[in-house]
Order: sequence, then C-alpha cells, then structure tokens
Amino acid sequence: MDYNWNFASVFAYWNVLAVGLKGTIQLFIICSILGLGGGLIMGMLRYAKSRWISYPAMLYVEVFRNTPVLVQIIWFFFALPVLTGVEVSPVMAAVLGITLNTIAFSAEVFRGGIQSIEREQWDAGKAIGMSYVQSMRRVILPQALKRMLPPLTSRGIEVFKMTTLATVVAYPETLQQAKLIASYEYNPIETYTVVALMFFVVLFPLVQLTYILERRFAKSDA
Amino acid sequence: MHTWDFLATLADMDLLLLGLWNTIKVFIFALAFGIPLGFGLALGRMSRIPVLSQICSLIIEFFRTTPPLVQLFWFFFAFPILISVQMTPFVASVMTFSIQSSAFFAEIFRGGINSIDKGQWEAAKAIGMTRQSSLRRIILPQAVKRMIPAFAERSIELLKTTTLISTVSYADLMFQANDLASKTFRPLEVYTVVAVMYFFLILIFSQLTIRLEYRLARSGEGTLR
Repeated sequence: MDYNWNFASVFAYWNVLAVGLKGTIQLFIICSILGLGGGLIMGMLRYAKSRWISYPAMLYVEVFRNTPVLVQIIWFFFALPVLTGVEVSPVMAAVLGITLNTIAFSAEVFRGGIQSIEREQWDAGKAIGMSYVQSMRRVILPQALKRMLPPLTSRGIEVFKMTTLATVVAYPETLQQAKLIASYEYNPIETYTVVALMFFVVLFPLVQLTYILERRFAKSDA
Repeated sequence: MHTWDFLATLADMDLLLLGLWNTIKVFIFALAFGIPLGFGLALGRMSRIPVLSQICSLIIEFFRTTPPLVQLFWFFFAFPILISVQMTPFVASVMTFSIQSSAFFAEIFRGGINSIDKGQWEAAKAIGMTRQSSLRRIILPQAVKRMIPAFAERSIELLKTTTLISTVSYADLMFQANDLASKTFRPLEVYTVVAVMYFFLILIFSQLTIRLEYRLARSGEGTLR
C-alpha cells in the first residue's frame, strides 16, 4: 500500500472532465424528459381497455425491461444503421437506448400509480359528467403523481447512472473523458476515484431526497 | 432494404453459448458473494453501535449512487495498482458486482427485517430468546418470504448489469457478440440474436422466481394473494 496518490494529475485536466460532466448532464436531461414523458403515455396505453392497444404496449415494456441497456445501445449503434441505411451517431444511439429503456420502466411506475387510485374516483368523475381523458387528467393523475414521485425520482437516478454506458459508443460523457485522462497520464487510480466521487456527490443528495419524499408521502397518504 | 441472414450467426452459435455460460458464471458468483455480504451490511447498518452503523450506511449509499461501470473500471484498472496484484477480468467483475449488488441486497434485507411487526421481537424476548436467536428463528424466516420479489428484481438487474464486463474484455455474451459482429460483418443479426438470448434468459429466471413465490405463498404468509 505504498502507492503515491497524485490527484494533481487529474485536476490539471479539470476542463476535460468538465466537458464530460456537461455531456453526462445533457444526456441525462434529454433521456429523463423523453423517457418519463414517453413512459406516461406508454403507461396509459398499457392501461387502455382495448387489447389492440394494451397488448402491443405490454410487449414493448417487456422487451425493453428484459434486455440489458448495453445491448440496446449497441443494437441501435451497430444494427439499426444496417437495417435503415441511416447513420446513427453515438449520441443518437445512447439517447435511443436509454430513453426507450426508461420509457419501459417508468411506464410500469405510471401504470402502478394509476391503478392504485380507487375505482370510486373514476366513477365519481363519470358521475359529474367527466370524460375518460378529463377524469384522468383532473382527478386520477394529480393523486397518482404524488404516489409515483419517489419511484420516479429513483428512476431519474438510474438514468443518471446509465449515462455512463454511452462510453461504449465513445460519446464524450464523464467516464469517457476519464478514460482519456487515465490513458494519457497513466493515473487510473486517481482519475476513476475522482469520477466515482463526482457521481457520489451529485447523486447522494438526490437519494436523500427520495427518502424524504417517501416518508412524507407515506404520512400524507395514510 | 437489408436482407436478413442468420446463417453466419447461427454457425458460430457455440461462441455465443460459451459467452452465455460465462455470463451465468459471473452472475452466480456475484450472487453467492453478494447476498451474504448484503446481509452483513444490513446487520451492520441496523446495529446499535453508531460507528459501525454509519460506516455500513456510507458503504451502501456509495455503491448505490455510483454507476456500476465506474466501479468496474476502478476495480479493474485502479485497484490492482493500489495493492500491486494482477487482476483478471473475471475476478474484477465478480468483485465489482458482488459489492455493488450487496449494497442493494442490504437495503432489501433491512426493509424486509423492518417490515416484521415489533411485537414479534417482543414475543421472542418474552420467552427468553436473545436478539440473535430471535432474528434467526423468528424474524428472518418471515422476512425472507417478503423479500423474494425484491430479490428477484435485483437479481435480474444484476444479470443485465453483467453485460458491462464486456468492456474489460471478459468473454461474456456481450463480448462474444461484439467479437462475432466484427468477424461476420453482420451486426444486425448478431445483436438481434443476442438480445433475444438475454430476453429468454431473463424470462426463464423471472418465471422461476414467480414459481418460488407461489410455493412460499402456499406455506403461510407470502407476497402473492
């Protein structure tokens, strides 16, 4: 254990890491907005009364939940261009893989949240003359969203961690940039330690937030 | 339009099956080390000694909030230099995923144990059981049943996370797929076949756990209604 730690060799490249962090955050924002938005729609389709809608939605959810994200990203990067003849950029592949995966997972959260609202609420909405869409939007969703907030926040944290996978298609996110530094300066210990700590510092407060949300909603719901 | 041709992929199916076997190997080893380690971490976190409980909390939170790929890189590239040993991709992968999943398993153990009514602890104490023996004889047998679905879900997550080890050149299914795709110039077919293989592997695993849940549900309180 007589290794000489030298963090200066990492901090000298702080601007390289900053580019990576920017890439990570960009990817995170795009994927979480599209993923959670798409998940809401997919969750409602999954809940639809017609089998012609709910079965395909179920198939989609199961396929994307039961295959690894890395396989999805690589499939979109290497296989999709062969199929469509359209060039897929690293960022496109990463966004497609992570977003479609997030849609599948958050669809289940939305479906669970919507189903957790008692049937009487629907009946009451109907009784005062609201349509399906109106009761969903005005009565069901506001209550369901409250219950879904903790699992959705954890989903967001998962998305943030998933962005590191974009390194396999050489998208310049934090880990990719760290790889560059480590191979240039031969300091993998310091570089990867710094990156791990960076993620910890960003995500730890968010995880604490989910705990607080869970406790608060557990109270107000009962 | 692309003409599909699965022949090249199917001809080298033995490569993919070898990869599948390696994936399963890492998965089983990571589970075998991760579950006991997670149990230890959970007990540590719930311990009445503040220092122990805080250290265990920190370990759990750290491994839950950092991306598994970063951890893998750390264990593969950084850790060997630090303790100056040679690290094989297999050992690095098993270490990373054991520790990473143990952090999640710890939270499942803790949730399961906490979900058991306090009266059970008191009843055990009343008939003269120590904390340890009431945990082993009263609490855990009930808690484990409730934990099965969470365990299953976490294990499936672990199975999917093992694809990351292809990045440190361990010959798992994903790595073999990359290899085969560049050899046959047929990425579309290779990656599609591999996605299907993962799908069925996970499907079989989740069906097995559902069956286990049913069996446990028959013997008293379970998670299925």
